[in-house]
Amino acid sequence: MIQDHQHLSYEEVSALVDGELIPRDAHDLEQHLASCHSCALSVISAMQLKSATKRAFKRFAPPPEVLTRFRARLLPETPKNPARVYTARSLIRGALAACLLLALSLLIRREVRQSSGLAAELLDQHLALLSSDSPPEVISSDRHTVKPWFDGKLPFSFNLPDAFPSGTTLKGGDLIFLDGHPAALLVFTVGRHQASVFLTQRSFAGTPSVARRTLSGFTIQYAKTQDLYLTVVSDGNPSDLALLVSALVAEQSPR
Amino acid sequence: MPARNGSVLFEQLALPLLPSLYSHAFWLSRNQEDAEDIVQETISKALRAFDSFQSGTNFRAWIFRILRNTFLTSRAAIATSRTVFMEDHVDLFDVSDPSPTPEDHLLRLDNHAALTEALERLHPQLREVLLLCEIEELKYKEIAVVLDIPIGTVMSRISRARRTLYAQLSQQVGSLL
Ligand SMILES: [Zn+2]
Repeated sequence: MIQDHQHLSYEEVSALVDGELIPRDAHDLEQHLASCHSCALSVISAMQLKSATKRAFKRFAPPPEVLTRFRARLLPETPKNPARVYTARSLIRGALAACLLLALSLLIRREVRQSSGLAAELLDQHLALLSSDSPPEVISSDRHTVKPWFDGKLPFSFNLPDAFPSGTTLKGGDLIFLDGHPAALLVFTVGRHQASVFLTQRSFAGTPSVARRTLSGFTIQYAKTQDLYLTVVSDGNPSDLALLVSALVAEQSPR
Repeated sequence: MPARNGSVLFEQLALPLLPSLYSHAFWLSRNQEDAEDIVQETISKALRAFDSFQSGTNFRAWIFRILRNTFLTSRAAIATSRTVFMEDHVDLFDVSDPSPTPEDHLLRLDNHAALTEALERLHPQLREVLLLCEIEELKYKEIAVVLDIPIGTVMSRISRARRTLYAQLSQQVGSLL
């Protein structure tokens, strides 16, 4: 209860400038303020202090990379399984699919092995992924989600572009082991086809002898960047895959 | 509510608050790395506890409370000034609440450095309540949730923080004259 003749207490002045007085109290206070010069000055002074304080306190903005890590943490926590190693044999489900894929894989392997053992392994991985009904470990089309997921899991880093060529969508990623070394697997949809992109550190990857091969309808396309080998395996349109490769390569160049 | 929808809702609610949470964690810990750790842990804790969050109640107050409790148990707080945030004597000072004196009106508030210094010298508990009020612009009832104190205590603590600032600024002005 506030009497007309009572001056405003400090708490009342403070709550008034914060807009925190209940309407009944605020009405009584305003009536008093209309007739009391001293209290009116107090309110003005408190308002000045409030706005000066707002200016003096500065807000600390998180650095962009910190914000990215926060965003990654926001996603529901997935159980931290040890990295899965895809092999055609362990992941193919269904006897018929197994036979078909194994035959296909062996057929392609025989051709590919002549140029690169790694290519055969990559193709196995891609085929395994196609035949598997277990999705990639991180499922997202957002590069701010996919890229940070690899942080700390790989002995190297890579960048993802803001946008991919039209018709190409990032589906997710996973950590795999190639030739005993950790590699990033990125899964894309290119048109109606799936594409696997493998990123490995250059020192581990060996020198690919070809930039592109087409084998039994699968394209295997390689690219070198300063630090990485990038390999795309897909049965999609080779020119669409080339666009994806150049978008990825462009993002790796040092700035 | 299905877990997937819950996490989508959590993301929607928490995403816009990330810069605020970081800024407040920085003010509490005074250290960039600690601030990041505190926010990361806050997100994890809040995600795990999200089932217990009552939809329709105040998410901002709820997550700031988790942030504060995370800070109080962090190594940053334990190493430095945790106890000053737990003290309750700060609310016992100056139970009488005299009306402002006329001198208060004479304060010049255009001295930015003096005010910054006064804010630095403010008791951490008083600075904390002022930050929630002025920077995060929380309502008194939200601050009451964050600090786990009655709303009347919020009101008196903010008032006390401002009076302390006035007193320090008056001294600074006095020493200049
Ligand atoms: Zn008055």
